[in-house]
Amino acid sequence: MRYAMAIDIKKCTGCHSCSVACKVENNLPDDIWWNRVLTVGGENMDTPMGKFPNVKMEYLPINCQHCENPACVKACPVGATYKRKEDGIVVQDYDKCIGCRYCMVACPYSGVRQFNWKKPEYAIDIAMGDKDVTKHQYNTVEKCTFCVHRLARGEKPACIETCPNRARHFGDIDDPESEVSKAIQGRTYFKLLEEKGTKPSIYYLT
Amino acid sequence: MSAQTRKSINISLAVFSVLAVIGVVCWILQLTKGLQMTNLGTTNMWGLYITGFMIFTGVAAGSLFFASVPYLFRLDEFKPYCRISAYVGAVSSIVAASLFIIVDIGNPERVWLFITSGNFTSPMFWDFIILLSYMVISVIFTRQLILVHEGKKDEKSVKPIAVLAFAAGILVFVTSFVFSFQTARPMWNTPAQPLSFLLAAFAVALAVLIILAFILNKIGYIHMPVPLISKMAKLCALLLAAELLIIIGEVLVGLYPGAGGEYEAVSWLVAGGGAIRFWLEMAAVVGALILLTRQASEKGGTILFGAIFAFAAVYLIKSNFLQAELFHPLLNYAGPVMYGDGAFYYIPSLIEIGVSVGIVSLGAFLLVIGLRALKLGE
Ligand code: SF4
Ligand code: SF4
Repeated sequence: MRYAMAIDIKKCTGCHSCSVACKVENNLPDDIWWNRVLTVGGENMDTPMGKFPNVKMEYLPINCQHCENPACVKACPVGATYKRKEDGIVVQDYDKCIGCRYCMVACPYSGVRQFNWKKPEYAIDIAMGDKDVTKHQYNTVEKCTFCVHRLARGEKPACIETCPNRARHFGDIDDPESEVSKAIQGRTYFKLLEEKGTKPSIYYLT
Repeated sequence: MSAQTRKSINISLAVFSVLAVIGVVCWILQLTKGLQMTNLGTTNMWGLYITGFMIFTGVAAGSLFFASVPYLFRLDEFKPYCRISAYVGAVSSIVAASLFIIVDIGNPERVWLFITSGNFTSPMFWDFIILLSYMVISVIFTRQLILVHEGKKDEKSVKPIAVLAFAAGILVFVTSFVFSFQTARPMWNTPAQPLSFLLAAFAVALAVLIILAFILNKIGYIHMPVPLISKMAKLCALLLAAELLIIIGEVLVGLYPGAGGEYEAVSWLVAGGGAIRFWLEMAAVVGALILLTRQASEKGGTILFGAIFAFAAVYLIKSNFLQAELFHPLLNYAGPVMYGDGAFYYIPSLIEIGVSVGIVSLGAFLLVIGLRALKLGE
């Protein structure tokens, strides 16, 4: 069994709902985003590529690719990040992370791993997020967990459920009947920076 | 040791301890407020501390190597000075290199995980092993050399450990693997890097040893003839020249395509945010080459300045190497603001500089203690 995600670029309207859902679900500290919707080609976020009148908008949602051959896992000197044998999810052990940031250097998907440069601070005073989410730690690196706490309860990751355009699909890629396998069937897709040898588990449908 | 020498030693101990204490204060500040006290960010997550680590692992490897060479190749005239070089490798630079890692990581209280939970696939773990082996080899080596000097052992007995020290020095190219094995970092991910690390390591070690030779000559601790120092200077220049060729190669390889990721990184380096420091780097390399190869005057002042230039050159080479790549990640589309976004180049914060000066001073302090307590001089 191996969890994977399919993101339909054609359906994504760049509404950032998944980013916000992730931020709330996981009670992410200020400045930290596990799931970001990047604007392809534009100079700033949500600006078009090209020159008027030939402009175009395109988005690329990005989170940890939960690689089959993760560069971060190989790099971590103390094994604080590792791939779960049972489902292929790459997880991060906050209690073990020494905060050397080598995994951030090693991951080709720049920015999916982020460091707590300061004591976690939150935009609002009340704690948000799911009660099962691991507490954020000062001086450690964190990233998308595929919402392991929700999977444990049989639920899908928060971003999948929130996407208003149903552009995101999730499931066991080894099971041909799973939602993600069905979403991919008959579609063309690409994987990000596949030439880097990481074998990412996120399929971008085109 | 003359009274004059002793006085200079005591003064330097006082100066270095004050600087080391300032470093400790800066580190405490950083520990209480976190790494936000540095000018690092999500994109440029490594900076001055990692550069310091690269330089002092290089000095450790190089001084170990150069301490072994006279014993392996019968360069008798250099033998009296090998103890100092071995000691620089054994204590000062290893302590400095390790401390640069300690201050860089977010949770220094967890370093013991390197021992209990080391990950064998991680090049950073390999570095840890290499540093440990340097420490062991060079301590034994220094001890043996002192025993030979005291006449308690004969010279032949140092041969095996000298061979080890020689090999260990060359193994410094393994430290490049932390960088050169990362496919996520195309500018580092080249076979030239291990060689470049070796050249820079030996060059910077020679620079440090030359500067040290001048200082120790001045205070009368040793009396190393200028022609001997001049030989070291020529070798340092040769290594720097080879390093310069690699850099020129990298720049041309990056610029030629005229577009693409590596082109952007290299043009940032030569004409963008990194330009000032790149051209300073070039000036330092060329300056060092000229001064180190010029016919030395009686006192050899040009060599001293050449060595200082060489040290600055290696610092700039290493720091530019780091920043040019980090500021040009593979995915650089616009998105939500992450910590540290918006910086176009990196200048270390005062805290980072304070901590680094403290570390180097602590290394120097330990060196002076060694000079005073052990029989390292003539
Ligand atoms: S995307 Fe990066 S952080 Fe995630 S598993 Fe792959 S290499 Fe590791
Ligand atoms: S920052 Fe943490 S997870 Fe990343 S490589 Fe270092 S110890 Fe491992």
